[in-house]
Amino acid sequence: MDAVTYPDKNVIEFITKNIIPLRVPYNLEPLATDFTIKWTPTLVVLDKNGKEHYRTVGFLPPEELIPSLLLGIAKVHFELDQFKDAISNLEKILKDYPKSGAAPEAVYLHGVSNFKTTHERKPLKQAYERLTKEYPQSEWAKRALPYRLL
Amino acid sequence: MENKIKWETEMKAAKKQARFENKPVLLDFFNPG
Repeated sequence: MDAVTYPDKNVIEFITKNIIPLRVPYNLEPLATDFTIKWTPTLVVLDKNGKEHYRTVGFLPPEELIPSLLLGIAKVHFELDQFKDAISNLEKILKDYPKSGAAPEAVYLHGVSNFKTTHERKPLKQAYERLTKEYPQSEWAKRALPYRLL
Repeated sequence: MENKIKWETEMKAAKKQARFENKPVLLDFFNPG
């Protein structure tokens, strides 16, 4: 991460603008125990009160780290019932990083967030249709399978 | 724009800044080697 990803101009710009970066050694207590850290790098996205909402383990190149962090930020909003903010971050993934590893889950969570906002089933079926068309091999296409019946 | 990431090193300071800026926190556990 130090050699490739963190020096990247786009990564620096994204992190500076969107999230408060905190870095600690993997064995620093009590955080290592509190967050059950077993491998590095482990990246965790927390809300402003310190509660975990997302984590990823292992190296990510710049073009994967940014959408991964967008997904993490979206999950913070989603789990705090801030669905419009979640949708905004998810749409950035789908617009700017559609080939990223985060994209299929973003499609799924986008559909769920819209359902939560509108209470209509259509966004769930749209998520299923998009996943089967654009990401048919992803686990999220399988998870969305029940929505084909809506 | 910054030319490197300005990491916080303490949770308390990071949460204070997160509340001030209304942003989430990225907590990176790394191996200093």
